[in-house]
Amino acid sequence: MIVCIAVVGHQNNPLYIQSFTEADDALKLHHIVHCSLDVVDERVNNPKKSGPMLNETFLGLLYPTENYKVYGYLTNTKVKFILVTTDLDVRDADVRNFFRRFHSAYLDAVSNPFHVPGKKITSKTFAERVSNIVKSVSFHTTG
Amino acid sequence: MADPAHFALRKMLLDEITPVVMVLPTPLVEQRCQKNGLSFVQMLTPFCVFNNIDVPVRTASDQPYRLQKFKLRMFYGSDIRQPNIEVTKERLEQVIADAGNKEDSDLYLDPSPIEAMSTSSEPEFVPTWFQYFNKELVRSVSFSDHEAFDHPVACLLVVSSNDEDPINKFVNFFNTNQLPPLLNDGAMDPKIPKYFILVHDNQDGSPKRATKILAEMRNTFGSNDCRLLCINSSQDRLADHEPNPWAPYGSNASPGQHLGCLLNNEDMDELKAFVRDLLSKDIIPNMEQRIRVLNQQVSATRKGFRNQIKNLWWRKGKEDTPEVQSVNMYTFNSIESQIRVLGDYAFMLRDYELALSNYRLLSTDYKLDKAWKRYAGVQEMMGLTYFMLNQSKKDAEYCMENAFSTYLRIGTSGKGNATRCGLWWVEMLKTSGQYKDAAGVYFRISGEEPLHSAVMLEQASYCYLLSKPSMLRKYGFHLILSGDLYKKCDQIKHAIRAYRNALSVFKGTTWSHIHDHVHFQIGKWYAFLGRFDVAMKHMLEILACSHQSKAMQELFMKDFFQILQKTGKTYNISRLQLPIVNISSLSIVSEDHRTYGSPAAVSVKESVWQSLEEDMVPSLSNAKTTWLDLQSKLLPTKLKQSNVCVAGEALKVEISFRNPLQLSIPIYNVTLMCEYSANETLPDANSSSSVIEGDEDGKIATGRVSNSDTSFFTSSEVDITLAGGETTVAQLSVIPRKEGILRVTGVRWKLSDSMVGFYTFDSDFITKRISKQKRKAKQNTNKLDFLVIKSLPRLEGVINNLPSTVYAGNLQPLSLELRNSSEIPVKNLKMKISHPRFLNIGNPEVLDVNFPSCLEKKQPCDKGADFEATKQSETIFRFPKDTIINKETPFFLPLWFRSVTPGNVSLYLTVYYENEDKSTAMRYRTLRTHHILEVLPSLDVSFFISPCSSRLQEYVVRMDVINRTSLRNFKLHQLSSVGNEWQISLIESINHIFPSGNLVPGQALSCFLKLKNVKTTETKTDVWLGDDSSEAVFDTQRAPLVNFHHYERLHQKTSHQENQRTVDFMLISRMEESENVPSDLPTPPQIFSHHACHCSVSTKRPIWWLLDSPQVNHCNFSNSFCETKLKMTIHNSSSFVASVRINTFDAPPGGSPSGNKLGWHDMATLPMDDTSGTSTRKPVSLESVPPFIWSGSSTTRVKLEPNSTAEVSLLVTTFAPGTYDLSNYTLNWSLLDSNDSREKEGVCYGRPFYLTILREE
Repeated sequence: MIVCIAVVGHQNNPLYIQSFTEADDALKLHHIVHCSLDVVDERVNNPKKSGPMLNETFLGLLYPTENYKVYGYLTNTKVKFILVTTDLDVRDADVRNFFRRFHSAYLDAVSNPFHVPGKKITSKTFAERVSNIVKSVSFHTTG
Repeated sequence: MADPAHFALRKMLLDEITPVVMVLPTPLVEQRCQKNGLSFVQMLTPFCVFNNIDVPVRTASDQPYRLQKFKLRMFYGSDIRQPNIEVTKERLEQVIADAGNKEDSDLYLDPSPIEAMSTSSEPEFVPTWFQYFNKELVRSVSFSDHEAFDHPVACLLVVSSNDEDPINKFVNFFNTNQLPPLLNDGAMDPKIPKYFILVHDNQDGSPKRATKILAEMRNTFGSNDCRLLCINSSQDRLADHEPNPWAPYGSNASPGQHLGCLLNNEDMDELKAFVRDLLSKDIIPNMEQRIRVLNQQVSATRKGFRNQIKNLWWRKGKEDTPEVQSVNMYTFNSIESQIRVLGDYAFMLRDYELALSNYRLLSTDYKLDKAWKRYAGVQEMMGLTYFMLNQSKKDAEYCMENAFSTYLRIGTSGKGNATRCGLWWVEMLKTSGQYKDAAGVYFRISGEEPLHSAVMLEQASYCYLLSKPSMLRKYGFHLILSGDLYKKCDQIKHAIRAYRNALSVFKGTTWSHIHDHVHFQIGKWYAFLGRFDVAMKHMLEILACSHQSKAMQELFMKDFFQILQKTGKTYNISRLQLPIVNISSLSIVSEDHRTYGSPAAVSVKESVWQSLEEDMVPSLSNAKTTWLDLQSKLLPTKLKQSNVCVAGEALKVEISFRNPLQLSIPIYNVTLMCEYSANETLPDANSSSSVIEGDEDGKIATGRVSNSDTSFFTSSEVDITLAGGETTVAQLSVIPRKEGILRVTGVRWKLSDSMVGFYTFDSDFITKRISKQKRKAKQNTNKLDFLVIKSLPRLEGVINNLPSTVYAGNLQPLSLELRNSSEIPVKNLKMKISHPRFLNIGNPEVLDVNFPSCLEKKQPCDKGADFEATKQSETIFRFPKDTIINKETPFFLPLWFRSVTPGNVSLYLTVYYENEDKSTAMRYRTLRTHHILEVLPSLDVSFFISPCSSRLQEYVVRMDVINRTSLRNFKLHQLSSVGNEWQISLIESINHIFPSGNLVPGQALSCFLKLKNVKTTETKTDVWLGDDSSEAVFDTQRAPLVNFHHYERLHQKTSHQENQRTVDFMLISRMEESENVPSDLPTPPQIFSHHACHCSVSTKRPIWWLLDSPQVNHCNFSNSFCETKLKMTIHNSSSFVASVRINTFDAPPGGSPSGNKLGWHDMATLPMDDTSGTSTRKPVSLESVPPFIWSGSSTTRVKLEPNSTAEVSLLVTTFAPGTYDLSNYTLNWSLLDSNDSREKEGVCYGRPFYLTILREE
């Protein structure tokens, strides 16, 4: 189950953060997302692989915590997408696919002429679309 | 070894992994030592550290090397056992608590910025007690049975010279029950070298007895192992040691006692020499010797191919043995233990190669034996040995990790060891700069014990900070985690420290949830510690938590107010975030010579007023100020530079507050902050007294007016309740009482009794806003400074009974009430109204008009007089010359109001007045009032006029009336043509077409009237449309109807209609009383007048004609045809000479004359009368019309003088009885001498004229 999805701007300011749990754990998820930015920075600054990975937006598993797995994605404008999930057995391809769809939703949201770049995304359509994507994606692969 | 990067761990290992000496003293020895405040071990400890001992050692393979630095650890025999877990735990807790209290003073300072931290070297910001704590943790697992470096290498047996039978005492020491359990149960080798020491206290007398005992001892135990130690030589307790070598060790001494006070320098030298001899002559050589022996044994049993195979075989055989047994399997004389001892001794004597080879050997054995704890211990030592050898970093780390995870795997018994191993590992990583990995290890060390975890997490966080590049967010996160754990263990001070350090990470970021949480927790904890002032500092940060959920906001607010209450202090917070002041909404209105009747009037653009007042105010002050101006001479230069306000008159300030929360928050005592200075120098804060008056719009609370004793101002305060997310505009004002200079500096409010927020206006910013309202010439001055001038009279004006919503056309009498509240009378009043169509000034002398009967027609009527007055008022109405308004005598001016067109209407009304007092700076003022009305549609009236076809100079008027209201009924009253030129009359009785008399909503009514142009004075210009004929007819020639009509005429005038003959209609109606309005008060009848002006009666065609004959002709058809004579009267109404040609056609009527076609033609394209467009011709059926012919000339031409009439005779011949349409003729006309090409010539087609021929019997 996807627990949280976040969009973080290029100055590491939160643009959109949405949790999909009933529990009141917003603060915890904020911390996890915030913390994972360190790993994103690390990945971006020390790219271990080269060649075909050079233009890769998908950052892969950022770090596993006790109960969650955190995945990252970096757009060309240095906007980061962070995904927190409780599924421990996840295929990278699925996450990649999720991020691709999320990215297009994000693109549509920021293409709105009323959206101020660098400000929080308040579009209801975006929120709706994101929750649809989250609902439609399930990482249960092999079972 | 000199490598500083390796220093920390190396030093730690050299300190910790050193030979242990077991000390067994008699109680008397202890007693003698306690005179110095020291135990025996403590007394010796300072001398156990050797920095330059220079002992030659040989390795097992006879390689010589020298030891420079060395250390011994001395323990009492009773301490040589595994420490009690509970005791250890308590001690650790104490360490933490002590550290927390020690840092008390730092806790309230501002944390140093993180940038400074990360650049400074480690010890400056990492709390130093961590090292101590870690050391304690490491010690908590000492004397473990699976390790050998804690095994005592020597034993000191200490007996006092005062002991009775000292020899026996020495012997008794080795009774088994006095030895530590580890030695007894076989884990440690009890056969350790023993040294017999006799302690002599010099205060007890001469050392004679001591030397005697020593000799006895030497005889008994051998001369090499016996020593004499003399202490307490200082007689006067004054031996002073600077620096005191015992200070770091004498932990349990009482504070007043001087450590080592009885030990003089000779004693110290003796102690030093004693320990040194012990080490260099006995302990190290003994260890060296033992290494050799053990090495030989190990080589014999384990080294070599044969031994290895054998060993493997043997181990395989043991595989089945249960693990429980294996714990106690390895006694001190088992080969594994001996290898371990060998390795540890080699390690302690720094023969690392030897140590490593033995550890390696041992680790495979233990692994095969599945003796995991021992295996882990050996792995740990291997790692350390690799590290000490400074080679193969990877191997070292691998070994440490292996050891760590193995310790963890064996469960609780390995926990402490795992922690120690982890700590060493961390240090190892730190020395190689792998801080990030070190942080990870710290994180793994943190187990279930919250307090340990907290410390470890905090240490982990510092590692993240130190890693390159520093991972600040992880630093913050781990600090938060650790802070939470500290809190769990009630270590509030540590929790605060952790959180405060974390704060520097989140400061300035937009991660507001985290930011709020950190501040909130810190605030709460400070409050818990009773430091409410510091708590408040943090609580203030979370006030504007608009992003939080409502529950969180409630929680924050609750705690905020609780802490605020406990502080007992009053806070004045600049730019308090609750509520948020929207500074761009600030607007200040001061009234100088312009005064405003209502707030609505203030918001009107200055240009509107200026254009309205243009002709009324003296040009001097209205023009731009120049040095020639009279005003600039009268007023000081200061006045020009600042805004002017009048003493006693309110300075109004509007500012909006926004509540960022979802909760409703009340704020109290919203006031303006002002500074007042009596003279014209700049206002000084000291002389200020802040005073405010304010009132609130809408629902907001009552304003309290309080007169301040200072009497510089009058103030009142406002309470507002802001609902969640609401923005409220507060209207505040200050009334200056004395002349001087007043400066508005800001706004303040109370969130509670002890929380006062204020907002200081930044004058630079406000300049922009105010300049809109102020004169342009003053734009560069400070807009918040106001020059207070002497009190002036001020008029207040109200229009009584002015409705806010009216129906179009409603006519009402109103009155303008002017009041002067000042003692000084005002005179020379003038007034101007922006929309005279709506408001008309009545006769000032007639105040009590009886409406609506005053409108009724009376005899005799003096027309004209009123009208003249009206004409004057088109520009400026001047009040009667003797009008003077005094205090308490209001002046009333009657006004007539008529709503004209539907829609929203703004009426501007400005009154000019001068004051009697010549000495004041301002000679005149203006009162500006602004009224907004909503006018609803009522009746739509339209008129269509077409010339009457049967009579000259007569017209048929169709009046269409539609009731556009949704609810109200109208009763038509009368229709009048204005002026005395036109006479109107109904064609049909109104009762026939409109029997009900009521025009209900949506109903339309058309009625036809006859209009006749007459020139007599007694013209009947009014038509009564009502059902009750007893009511009087209103006089349209009298004020105010005639006045309004005048403006209507002006308004509806268009340029083209000037020369033409027009008629104006006025429809007067009355609105029925609505049923659902309770009519307790007798409401005056609602009279409506609708005006239609410039209804043109003239056509474009200057020619009028009329065909005239008897309509019915009787003929006997004796001649088989019948001739009928017709007479056509032609009138030229133009001012030019007209030539008219009459053409007759024999073609059937309706045929196009120009086409002249016979047979089929389009019936639809009948020529239309080009004048009115209202009369339509009926199509004529061809078959029904018998033929007739025009006899006589087919073309007749006549010439007509201007405004003259001519008659032409025409003849029609018919052949059978019937009805004939004689319309097949045209009139071609042309105006001679006319310059207007459009109206020069034209063609008129004949109008239907029906002639009936009957056969005469």
